[in-house]
Amino acid sequence: MTDREMMLRQIATVDFAIVELNLYLDTHPSDQEVNSKLNDYKKQSEELRNRYQEMYGPLTSETAEDNRWGWIADPWPWNLPEEGEN
Amino acid sequence: MWAYEKKLQYPVKIKNPNPALAKMIISQYGGPDGELGASLRYLSQRFSMPYPELKAILTDIGTEELAHLEMIGAIVYQLTKNLSPEEIQKNGFADYFVDHTTGVYPTSASGSPFNAASIAVKGDPITDLHEDLAAEQKARTTYDNILRFCDDPDVRDPIKFLREREIVHYQRFGEGLRLCTDKLDSKNFYAFNPSFDKK
Repeated sequence: MTDREMMLRQIATVDFAIVELNLYLDTHPSDQEVNSKLNDYKKQSEELRNRYQEMYGPLTSETAEDNRWGWIADPWPWNLPEEGEN
Repeated sequence: MWAYEKKLQYPVKIKNPNPALAKMIISQYGGPDGELGASLRYLSQRFSMPYPELKAILTDIGTEELAHLEMIGAIVYQLTKNLSPEEIQKNGFADYFVDHTTGVYPTSASGSPFNAASIAVKGDPITDLHEDLAAEQKARTTYDNILRFCDDPDVRDPIKFLREREIVHYQRFGEGLRLCTDKLDSKNFYAFNPSFDKK
């Protein structure tokens, strides 16, 4: 596994917790403890995303700013390593 | 409004092509219980849903289904990479190939193109939530059936992730149904349709 894939996995792991807690809070909106856990995971995700984006390019078109080539660059999420892994 | 993130919800990296398996898995792209239908069903049901928790669940699960659609597309794409005409012929992929080459087209495993007849939007929250609970179980069964034909760990891993999400969504919709009935007439849940009738 490349370093880039490893970082994407770390982001996917934290983001999975965010998706899961967010869904739970839709039906349990007054659960403050879970909400504060969600906020912790959001902070972790932001830190990981910032590090990833500095090394491998933007994850969203909003964060692309002046790096337009980085936004359009391969690999796209469905691509295999031989199609443009960094 | 939506925003795209250039990553999959769960990683997909398949080393060995397998067009026969791709033809089965594509059912979760555009088949009767697939992720395209799931996202359309939930995102469409939102408009007539009367309670805030339920608008939120349908929005967030409907959005997650779009991420699942992308994962299935990536699995089908990777399973059909670098095929020779002989492999296409030998693996029973020729009929799909003639119509779509190796493009990812929303169809069922048995060859019917995506059809909105396989989803329902009834405009009644009890009815729609039962549709959603059944839909999650139908998708779970389909993933179980796919796993019967699949021994490649590169494919089993993301398929098992998707299967587990059906079970979590079922749980959330179950809570949604309870929240809904709590707000209705406890002597007769069907006394009125809160999406339509004025109380």
